[in-house]
Amino acid sequence: MLSIESLEVRYGGITALRGVSIDVKEGETVLLVGANGAGKSSLINAIIGVVPTCGGTIRFKGQDIGALSCDRRAKAGVGYSPEGRRVFPRMSVADNVLSGAFGLGRKRQQEAFDWLCEAFPILATRAHQPAGQLSGGEQQIVAFARAMSSYPPFLLLDEPFLGLAPVWIQRISDAIRQVQKRGTTILMTEQMARPALKLATRGYVMRGGEVRRSGSVAEIRDIALAEEYL
Amino acid sequence: MNEFISAGLIGVSLGAQYALLALGFTLIFGILGVVNFAHGGFYVAGGYIAYGFVSHLGVPYVIAVLLATLATGAIGYLFELFLVERIVEDHLATLMLTLGLYLTMSTGVLVAFGPESPQFQFPISGSLQIGKFHLPIENIVVLSICLLAIATVYLLMYKTDFGRALRALADDRQVAAAQGLRPRLLFPLAFGVACGLAGLTGALVTPILSLAPHVGDPVLATSFLIVILGGLGSIGGATIAAFLVGLVEAYSSVYLGGSKGALALFVLVLIVLVVRPSGLFGREVRGA
Repeated sequence: MLSIESLEVRYGGITALRGVSIDVKEGETVLLVGANGAGKSSLINAIIGVVPTCGGTIRFKGQDIGALSCDRRAKAGVGYSPEGRRVFPRMSVADNVLSGAFGLGRKRQQEAFDWLCEAFPILATRAHQPAGQLSGGEQQIVAFARAMSSYPPFLLLDEPFLGLAPVWIQRISDAIRQVQKRGTTILMTEQMARPALKLATRGYVMRGGEVRRSGSVAEIRDIALAEEYL
Repeated sequence: MNEFISAGLIGVSLGAQYALLALGFTLIFGILGVVNFAHGGFYVAGGYIAYGFVSHLGVPYVIAVLLATLATGAIGYLFELFLVERIVEDHLATLMLTLGLYLTMSTGVLVAFGPESPQFQFPISGSLQIGKFHLPIENIVVLSICLLAIATVYLLMYKTDFGRALRALADDRQVAAAQGLRPRLLFPLAFGVACGLAGLTGALVTPILSLAPHVGDPVLATSFLIVILGGLGSIGGATIAAFLVGLVEAYSSVYLGGSKGALALFVLVLIVLVVRPSGLFGREVRGA
């Protein structure tokens, strides 16, 4: 579904990604692990199109999306839940979620919202509350639902457990499992490798802007857990 | 007592006009982060376009107002699409660009129509008597249209997909775009709506007040003052501040006199900004 070849990203004179190649097949949940500064978020930002690349290709469902704008990549089917949630703070929870379903039409928007409220009841109980007033875990659910409201076949989750209490890590993990059951393909970055490894089918370990190791969860578990402490 | 109520009615009427102007101004700032110095120019353009249609082509005034609204909206849309959008992240550049557009517009009107105020009359005159009060019909018509336009803007912003998308883009452009919202489609539309509101106000109000190439200067100053008072980028704040300014202007001109009235307004703004530097309903300004 997603194929990245020899991707290069530079910020001025600093190289953030150096010849990164990864592959995500349909229905998989692939984990990118690595310490701070490993290049995980740069890779996600390059995929969604907010960071310009200076080499390599990004192919999504066979199409080179490297030249597409950020919004066109989303319309092509790339869902995105950002690091730090970044909900729209003054907008209500319902408006946050529905903003991800722009242009779907009222009927499909309502269907999406009903489905998401059924999956995550907190969305219904807090529907009219400004998203900025929610706790971190609740905001993560909102960001997650916003990304899913257009039914994307592919979802990018950037550090979904960042700064969350264990109870919320469990709830977010359950939410990710629900989306997995729908057949959504997921590429997830996470510094907290332990809970993320329980959700992934394969993984890549990044360090210094490069992929150092890849393989099944069993194959990368030890090095991924070691990276967690770096 | 009669004087007090009459001044209040004038204040509400003035406030509605100011609200319509300030809404457009604050929409552009709140959504795009652009201070639109050309806003007064669109007010003038709306007045002159309506005047041109009525006086030179014999178009009925109501149609002329609609055409002026659409024309100014279209100019605003194209201006954003081809010029502002390219430099939208550079606040100083957009400031200079909109100032340049304002000077171009007011000079263009000066060249085309001359410096004198043309004869542009509101098509309805007379007054409506309610009890002891005589209300000018033209003011009632303008007030009604302004209130209708304000309600439409609110519905557009808070009850439609378009408004939701604009509010999302105003909050976090990058994340909103990553959710599939298209700034290059939505920003020009928002700019067009805001400029159309200024054009509508110009077409409605200039036949009552005055039409001249430079009547946009005080309009820009008042819009700026209202938006700062209400809180930059706040739609609700701008509306409330507009009515507040309208009432203060009306009451102070009746009870204090012209120049003292203007002074009262600036003193009020000064006090509000000392107490609340971000305005009555201010919020954090979107970053570049």
